[in-house]
Amino acid sequence: MASVGDALEWARQQVIARVPQADLDQRDPDYIRDRLPGFWLLASLYFRADVRGLDRIPPEGPVLLVGNHSGGNVAPDTFVFGLAFCSYFGPERPFYQLAHNLVTVYPPLRWLRKFGAVAASQENARLALESGAAVLVYPGGDYEVFRPSWQRHVVDLGGRKGFVRLARETAVPIVPVASVGGQETALFLGRFQWLASLLRLDRMLRLKSVPISLALPWGLNISDLLGHIPLPAKIVIEVQEPIEVDGDDQAVYDKVVASLQAGVDRLAAERRFPVIG
Amino acid sequence: MRVERGCIVNADPDTVWKVLSDPDRYPSLLPHLERWETLTEGPLELGSRYTVLWKIGSIPVGGVVEVVEFDTARDLAWINISGVTHRGRFRLRAAGPSRTLVTFRLAYHSDGGLLGLIAARVAARWVGRSLEESLENLRRLLES
Repeated sequence: MASVGDALEWARQQVIARVPQADLDQRDPDYIRDRLPGFWLLASLYFRADVRGLDRIPPEGPVLLVGNHSGGNVAPDTFVFGLAFCSYFGPERPFYQLAHNLVTVYPPLRWLRKFGAVAASQENARLALESGAAVLVYPGGDYEVFRPSWQRHVVDLGGRKGFVRLARETAVPIVPVASVGGQETALFLGRFQWLASLLRLDRMLRLKSVPISLALPWGLNISDLLGHIPLPAKIVIEVQEPIEVDGDDQAVYDKVVASLQAGVDRLAAERRFPVIG
Repeated sequence: MRVERGCIVNADPDTVWKVLSDPDRYPSLLPHLERWETLTEGPLELGSRYTVLWKIGSIPVGGVVEVVEFDTARDLAWINISGVTHRGRFRLRAAGPSRTLVTFRLAYHSDGGLLGLIAARVAARWVGRSLEESLENLRRLLES
């Protein structure tokens, strides 16, 4: 008789089988160009976004952009930065974003692939970097994005150093991208990792947490799998100076986290009120 | 969408032209400038190309532009090669002894259908303010 474990393993295989290999050709500059005005409206009027320091990104060639991530499953920092990058360098410059497996297989979000979203894996990232593209990665991912709102100005990549190895092996510079505001788009209460472990979601869906938040329109929002309507928090993003990968993994990781934290601290100091900015 | 601003400066057209035809002046002349790069060597002339990005709203907007009209002390016009579709023009006309009417005009088009139209209209406020500040900078530079 099949056990619960077998059923979960079957479900896991089903999810893995649906995670697409990166097809870099799915990115469509013309589609991006058509969508930029709508995103510009959302970024400028709703989130009153402010993106700085794009001139610190090497003007051409592959680069690994490493950001701190905020805002649950509706993370405004990703789309605001994507918009700014495509506008600054033009949609013609290849630019890919590593996204959670569920984001790339969830049918209503398939259009994100036209923007350059690819499933987060070392193989996909290497493929994109070796093609000469800029790649945006949020190492903290689902762990960092659900930290409690009162830790909104804490950079916590969860000790994930895969991006350092990736940058070293592909010989590309790392450019940290610090942002604030995303964790004020809802009241995030915590990750509740013990619940994810109990439900085996960590093994099945790569979900390390079962976050609980107070968010529109749900009120009490458990897991945030259906997303939420973000509050119009002011999003501020600042690109930091590039970092060469010339030490051991831990040293480079520490340098990136320190750069991100310094950037976040600087931006947080300018903030007078939550949400309003 | 076409946005236009004008002002009269206390300088003759040749003096104004000296400033407007000097590419090194633009970073201090254009406000909210995020990126200014010279792509072609030499002085500003017909066919010169520059990368120009202004901060409009939340992000830098612009692209590579090429000078398409260079009528000394009268008209300087450019069109975009990449980025947001737009045309720009500085128009100089004598407005009395040692006085010049300077018109700064920017016509642009956003892709994206209805949202593009709305974005273009919303952006007009920021664009208009940028043009005004540019002319104010020019006036300050010439009259100081």
